[in-house]
Amino acid sequence: MSTSSAISVQGLTKDFRVGLRGVKLRAVDNLSLEIPRGQVFGLLGPNGCGKSTTLKIVLGLIPATSGAISILGFPSATSEARQRTGFLPEAPYFHKFLTGRELVQYCARLSGVPAEKVNEAVEASLELAAMTEAASRPIGTYSKGMLQRIGLAQAIVHDPELVILDEPTAGVDPVGSAAIGRMINAMRAKGKTIVLCSHLLGQVEQVCDRVAIMDRGRLVLEGRVDEVLAQRDRHVITVADLTPQARQAAEAALAAHGATVTSITHPRRSLEDLFRELVTGSRDA
Amino acid sequence: MNARLNRTSWIARITFLEAIRQRFFAFLLVLSAAMVVSSVSLRFMDFGHSELKFVADFAFGGMFLFGSVLALVMTAQLFFAEIENRTALTLLAKPLSRTEFLLGKFLGTWAVLGVFVFSLAFLQGVILWSRTQELIVLAAETGRVAPDFSVSGLASFAVLQWLRLGVVAAMVLMVSAVARTFLFTVIVGAMAIVAGQLQWLAQEALLKPSDASMVTKTLLWISSRVIPNLQQFNIGDTLVLDPTAISGTAVWSVVLSGLFYLVAFLALASLAFRRREI
Repeated sequence: MSTSSAISVQGLTKDFRVGLRGVKLRAVDNLSLEIPRGQVFGLLGPNGCGKSTTLKIVLGLIPATSGAISILGFPSATSEARQRTGFLPEAPYFHKFLTGRELVQYCARLSGVPAEKVNEAVEASLELAAMTEAASRPIGTYSKGMLQRIGLAQAIVHDPELVILDEPTAGVDPVGSAAIGRMINAMRAKGKTIVLCSHLLGQVEQVCDRVAIMDRGRLVLEGRVDEVLAQRDRHVITVADLTPQARQAAEAALAAHGATVTSITHPRRSLEDLFRELVTGSRDA
Repeated sequence: MNARLNRTSWIARITFLEAIRQRFFAFLLVLSAAMVVSSVSLRFMDFGHSELKFVADFAFGGMFLFGSVLALVMTAQLFFAEIENRTALTLLAKPLSRTEFLLGKFLGTWAVLGVFVFSLAFLQGVILWSRTQELIVLAAETGRVAPDFSVSGLASFAVLQWLRLGVVAAMVLMVSAVARTFLFTVIVGAMAIVAGQLQWLAQEALLKPSDASMVTKTLLWISSRVIPNLQQFNIGDTLVLDPTAISGTAVWSVVLSGLFYLVAFLALASLAFRRREI
């Protein structure tokens, strides 16, 4: 296991027994993954591909059938690992009778924030989640977007090094979604590692440094967003500068047609296209 | 250790707040209070017992009946609400052990049961005390023996009832830790309460000399050890109206037996919950 990784997953397999006969269903199949520190990492895949199961195992909520996992150098599911991890589950639900501030205080105390620092930590996380104004209202009155943001505040109140967000923008309108994107960027600026599970591929493409795509419990692709999206067999010219010789030739050729070369770069296909290419047909066809 | 206690107390605090705000709790509290108050008007139907004994028995019976329903439904509901609403996911992803979570849920529920028992005991105390004062005056006028009413006996009884409901709640929590549905938990929990009420039959059968087979005797022995005897807490009228008739040792043995089952059920619940996939 690598201590330089925020999360290190080695040979993770998870089987569920379903039905009366206990038929084996493999949810995660020999998954190995290294998530570097200080980056925003996108974990993608269609429904039922094993993303959420992987996250639950990483968080120690369910046991693995086999494999080893460490968080920031500590075995997962230990108190040391959890102390350094924040988690926002998919479609979070919180006690409706608490106010937003009470919920974040409650989570701060459960996460081990000392009593004398709770108020300061709570206000800082509420501010980052843009929930200061609504913090005194009962959670039962919150919209979906506000629920996600208060969920984010409870996840980061103890200033964790690693933040795991499972579908943080599910059911949130584009404005709320953009706000959550800004919060992720703010956390990255503070040096946090963020693992993001999302179906909003456009947002993942915008905020993530690296992505991994899972299908049928297996890892089918992992790498830097720029690298995995680049189509290196083609070039797009967008700026004026090129290598001197090629530029000269290109300019001459283009000038003859009244055009000016402004840039040359690797063209990109969208993350959505890549995702569909990798997983379409395997599940829905 | 401090951190563990702190986390457990926070889970208990939120569980208590959640439970106390439920209409179900308020409904049962009002219903039980009405039953306690109505016991005064039914004192003429004493079936040959003394008036105060009938009033006390009627009210204590109501306290246990509705208290058991509350302990059963509320414990299961508060546990499954966390699982089904997935708040447990958020909480258990924090540096909070499953034992702390379970213990916090139990303590929060037990605190609610404490509010229920002590509120009703207070009401019962006021009713019994005021009626006792009337009967004392009446006894002085007619030259009959004045009735006795022990406040400390009522307090002891309330503590015993609280302990009994604690045993029920721990038993239900143990079932919840392995069960998949709320309905299954409530049905099995109700059966466990009935078994606890009838456990004395197994004890009596075991103590009586008989020619029962070894298998029957073994089953009786297991039943009398595994299932708590919930009837042993039924000493309310004696404690309240005739406290000298029962020894302190007997009361303590009931307390220790209740505590033993409570701790044992919680330990088993914790073991089962550790392996549960959420």
